[in-house]
Amino acid sequence: MKTDASQSSASDEQLVEAARQGDMGAFEELVARHRDKIYARAFSMMRNEDEAVDLSQEAWVKSWQRLNQFHGESSFGTWVTRIVINLCLDQLRKRKRQRTESIEEMDEETGGVERQMPAVTVNPTERLERGELRKKIDAALEKLSHEHRTVLVLHEFEDLEYKEIARTMDCSIGTVMSRLFYARRKMAALLADLKTEELR
Amino acid sequence: MNEEAQFKLQAYLDGELPAGESAGVQEWLARDPEARALLAELQNTNAALAGHEAEVKLPETRDFFWSKIEREIGRQSVAATAPSRKSFWARWGWRGLVPAGGFAAVCLLALHLANPGAASAEFVPELELASDDMGAYTYRNQEDGLTMIWLYDRSSAAQSAQSSTPAILASK
Repeated sequence: MKTDASQSSASDEQLVEAARQGDMGAFEELVARHRDKIYARAFSMMRNEDEAVDLSQEAWVKSWQRLNQFHGESSFGTWVTRIVINLCLDQLRKRKRQRTESIEEMDEETGGVERQMPAVTVNPTERLERGELRKKIDAALEKLSHEHRTVLVLHEFEDLEYKEIARTMDCSIGTVMSRLFYARRKMAALLADLKTEELR
Repeated sequence: MNEEAQFKLQAYLDGELPAGESAGVQEWLARDPEARALLAELQNTNAALAGHEAEVKLPETRDFFWSKIEREIGRQSVAATAPSRKSFWARWGWRGLVPAGGFAAVCLLALHLANPGAASAEFVPELELASDDMGAYTYRNQEDGLTMIWLYDRSSAAQSAQSSTPAILASK
């Protein structure tokens, strides 16, 4: 991996191998390829630009330090994504330890008002243009608690199974099922309720 | 519908139901409109989320972001290879005091056994410390037959004599 041109045409696997040998240029190319995805995942969990930048940077530093632990079981991008997810969860746990228990927190497990809510029978996102739908979903995700948002992100966007989410979030499968169920119900209600002006 | 039934419906949707339970859920759905409505809501939410995550981009240029990562990698590798500058107490704390204190006590005992008659008046213990990082002060109260030894960290004592942590061993 000597030149920029050879780096840009190299596969992730080749770049990882070169980076393992200490080639910082190869690692820089890997960062350039995956940095938006890693940042996006951090942002989806933290909902804060500065924190997401810091945590994604930390994830890249850790991935450099742990390159020898990457054995290609998943793609390189997925591997770094797992690192940033774990960093975000650590940060959220620290934050949670600092705040006192509230009614909202107790509702994380028991569902709060969503428990008694009748099913939303009309599809609230039907006939929405793609960009508008994305905005609407993003605004709804913003309103979820971080436990609900995280479980949705891991299940819907990272395609993790219940047991993988439980392992990642350090909780039981029952808790995952509960959080996921009430997160979805809350999303359904939010998508139905969010008014167009809230999205602008 | 209780929670268990709701979660079962969700597991059915997610393909996480244990083998052999799907047929039972399908029969339940066929006869229960409330279950069908809930399943439809869950499916709609899933469909809305699928492929519609907001597209966000890192708000920093490639060079600037990389320069921060490169600097941090360099900083951490230097920190990892540099010899530790922590003080003796920070590194060993009270764990180091146990063997050192034990060693001091053995010295005192050895001196006492070697010269039992001196305990009443002339007993002045001598200490040899196992670590160069440590220093010791001794104080002998002849009247009470009490010897006190302060163990301290030389590096912190150099900064402030008051910051040293005294360890008191007593011997009669």
